[in-house]
Amino acid sequence: MQKVFSKGAVLAGAMLWAATAQAELVLDEAWLRAVPPVSPSMAGYVTVTNTGDAAVVITGARSDFAGHVMLHDMSMQEDGTRAMRHLHEVMVPAGGSVSFAPGGMHLMLMHLSRVPAEGERASLCLELRNDTSVCADFTVSRTSPFEA
Amino acid sequence: MRKLPYILSLLVLILLAGCDKPESDLPVNTRLGGEFSLTDQDGKPFSQDNLKGQVSILFFGYTHCPDICPAVLARVAQVYRNLDEAGLADRVQPVFITFDPERDTAEHLKEYLPWFKAEMVGLTGSLAEIRQVAEQYGVVFIKGDEEENYLFTHSDYIYLLDDQARVRKLYPADFNIDEVAADAESLL
Repeated sequence: MQKVFSKGAVLAGAMLWAATAQAELVLDEAWLRAVPPVSPSMAGYVTVTNTGDAAVVITGARSDFAGHVMLHDMSMQEDGTRAMRHLHEVMVPAGGSVSFAPGGMHLMLMHLSRVPAEGERASLCLELRNDTSVCADFTVSRTSPFEA
Repeated sequence: MRKLPYILSLLVLILLAGCDKPESDLPVNTRLGGEFSLTDQDGKPFSQDNLKGQVSILFFGYTHCPDICPAVLARVAQVYRNLDEAGLADRVQPVFITFDPERDTAEHLKEYLPWFKAEMVGLTGSLAEIRQVAEQYGVVFIKGDEEENYLFTHSDYIYLLDDQARVRKLYPADFNIDEVAADAESLL
């Protein structure tokens, strides 16, 4: 479980409280799909819960081992095919949660400088519209470590 | 007449001996499959004939696919490993056919597939050859517009083939691992 942190260096106490009171994001069940070391990309999954009293907008993601991370959505088409769509933002409503999960919304990590190995915990941050970010350690696993 | 019970017992034993491996009740799908010509990860020609004599778990995808394809690869590999633990994998062959021959060369497939630890065969070929086999299996794939890091819109069924390379069952991408293993076993 990780909470939101401001990118800014120092803020007045009252301002910091105000900012965090509006946006309390909690990241759970964060994992990356383990892939072969020669893979050019991998997918990340996480549940984002907003315990604050204002909606939060996720605008992107970053990691030190991925040159580029995109928010993607996978959806089933009428003809039975699955199509990938780039999302420019994802809103997490106040008191609500959003799941990035296999077969649906996910984080697509590209231009990997290295491929984290199965069993590793790799840090990845979600970037928010209000110039803050929230980070978590993602467990690298072949299948979801959170499924029963 | 005293010999009759013995004769009947013998007949029953002979009949039971022929029933030690129940026939699979999976119907043959005559609309899917057929002759094709592709190249395996060693650069060798691979045709429908290479599928005969074993049960195949065949599926399509591409290695630059971040979400569904690695999940399907991992699940098929798990089916194989479960059958291997039961001593049944020597006549079961997972087969991965790419629809991205531009990036999924034989050399790349040879580097990529062993990680899944399932003795997987990887097949590539010309775009025309792949289009043909995809059509035979009812697979749709549409390349994205991106110049770089292009993705595909695609169908993602998994096919269970018997030892005559006939399609016997289709599964969705989130198939039940135990179901596929049991179905494969029924065809051995």
